[in-house]
Amino acid sequence: MQEVAVLGVGLHRFGKTGDDIVGTKSVTELCRHAIDQALADAGVSWKQIQAVCAASSRFSGGKGWGLNGNDVVEDMGSTGIPVYNMSAGCAAGGNAFNVGYAMVAGGVYDMVLVVGGEVMPKGMIQTSGVEEVTDPEFLRQRCVGMPGPSFWATLARRRMHEMGTTEEQYAAVTVKARKCSVHNPYARFQKEVSLQEVLASPYVSNPLRLFEICPVSNGAAAVVICSRAKARQFATNPVLVASSAVATMTFEDALPRGLAGPAPQGPSLHTEARAAVKRAFEIAGVGPQDVSVTELQDNTCYYELAFPEEWGLCQPGEAERLLLAGETAPTGRMPINPSGGFVSFGEATTAMGVFQIAELTWQLRGQSGGRQVPNARVGLAQTLGLGGNATAAILKK
Amino acid sequence: MSEEKVPCVPGLFSEENGVARVHGSRCTGCGTPYFPRSAACHNPDCSGSRMEECSYGGAGRLWSFSVADFPPPPPHKYDKPFVPYAIGVVDLDCGLRMIGQMVDQPSDLTVDARVELVIDTLYHEDGKAFTSWKFRQLAADAARSH
Repeated sequence: MQEVAVLGVGLHRFGKTGDDIVGTKSVTELCRHAIDQALADAGVSWKQIQAVCAASSRFSGGKGWGLNGNDVVEDMGSTGIPVYNMSAGCAAGGNAFNVGYAMVAGGVYDMVLVVGGEVMPKGMIQTSGVEEVTDPEFLRQRCVGMPGPSFWATLARRRMHEMGTTEEQYAAVTVKARKCSVHNPYARFQKEVSLQEVLASPYVSNPLRLFEICPVSNGAAAVVICSRAKARQFATNPVLVASSAVATMTFEDALPRGLAGPAPQGPSLHTEARAAVKRAFEIAGVGPQDVSVTELQDNTCYYELAFPEEWGLCQPGEAERLLLAGETAPTGRMPINPSGGFVSFGEATTAMGVFQIAELTWQLRGQSGGRQVPNARVGLAQTLGLGGNATAAILKK
Repeated sequence: MSEEKVPCVPGLFSEENGVARVHGSRCTGCGTPYFPRSAACHNPDCSGSRMEECSYGGAGRLWSFSVADFPPPPPHKYDKPFVPYAIGVVDLDCGLRMIGQMVDQPSDLTVDARVELVIDTLYHEDGKAFTSWKFRQLAADAARSH
């Protein structure tokens, strides 16, 4: 196995169709911007890329609003290189990074581009769009009327019941996130919000409010990876990939994902995310105590409180106290999402796992400006996607 | 003057003599319940995967709930004007963790309360009432006498 390095990273700032940031740019245009930046950052040309791992959102049988890696390669120049289109819902970016990593580590290719990008349809994410009684998503919509955000709201309310979490504490996560976003030129929202403003935003799905749930965004992210040996030709001290892992949910998972499942024996939520993170720790040979900075998938503020506890970054029931004490801020003991997170970026589904790698790379290089985590040495990235998909990656200096 | 009632999706549930049931399956090898029907058992520790049809219903505990505060996009259906409703996640005594709309107003619900499966109208269309399974919170006294 080769050691793998992150040679270059790039982003297109996230925005909303029609705004001053992304306007009417196509997903290919957004990706080209991110790729050009990543190639320049790496110091390599398009013709040096040996393969592309694209995070694809073209759900089989679904709406297919998103990225197809072949379009990107055609746009950049049809060099004939292999393209791998990876579909894993919101975990697709992490999945594409994992496949790229595995191929470089395995010596198959030695200069791989990983890319994700989206021009999202408006409103709540509709995953399938088909009216088929064999489609569990359709049954959930038609028979129950459970829109996507309700899934998160259910979990948030259960946490309130079990841990005593308050609506003010969920709102405080957004306040913290938006404080970080002020220092991130790639975030869609770059203005602070007050606790009162968050609490004044309407419920999308009680107990979660508009400012506590990430909207959909347009954006793109790209990273160039190669072996550590090859990276030495381009950079003296490149950021290294300590591990990359993918997992799917297990049978005892307790999340209400379909219409029904066997009632769980224990509180095993997000089994795929926990397994991916645990595996990433094992492969990297590090533990939760070694993590300097975490970029986790905060589709909603709930995750910023629940995930660190589920992965052992802190004790169960401790997350609210750490948040309020400022310990999850970039200068705290457990920095979470110094980028501003999904709550500040909005979600461009397939870009997210790649965007996290870019952010961690900047953090480990010390290039994050006002959101910099002091002396960041080990970074953890995590995604969670529909269908029981999760990924985790650990980067190190 | 009773309106015609039609299941929103046929074959998934029924109501006979006032008893609501959803129609799923069960693995006779390991006992795992499924709704809707599953062609195979998902338990990796079960080598049997012998499936039989099985219906579920009765009472359970409200694990948590959320509220649809905004009209959801198609293919969701609801009566207009839209009125926010609650969606429950219920651990039925028969062993299923199941989602369903709540009959009760969101403000009346309590996590961990006892609830029961019912069949109720979800929306109206073409002069018909389209039904689905829902849950109803049981009053503390009603839960004992039910």
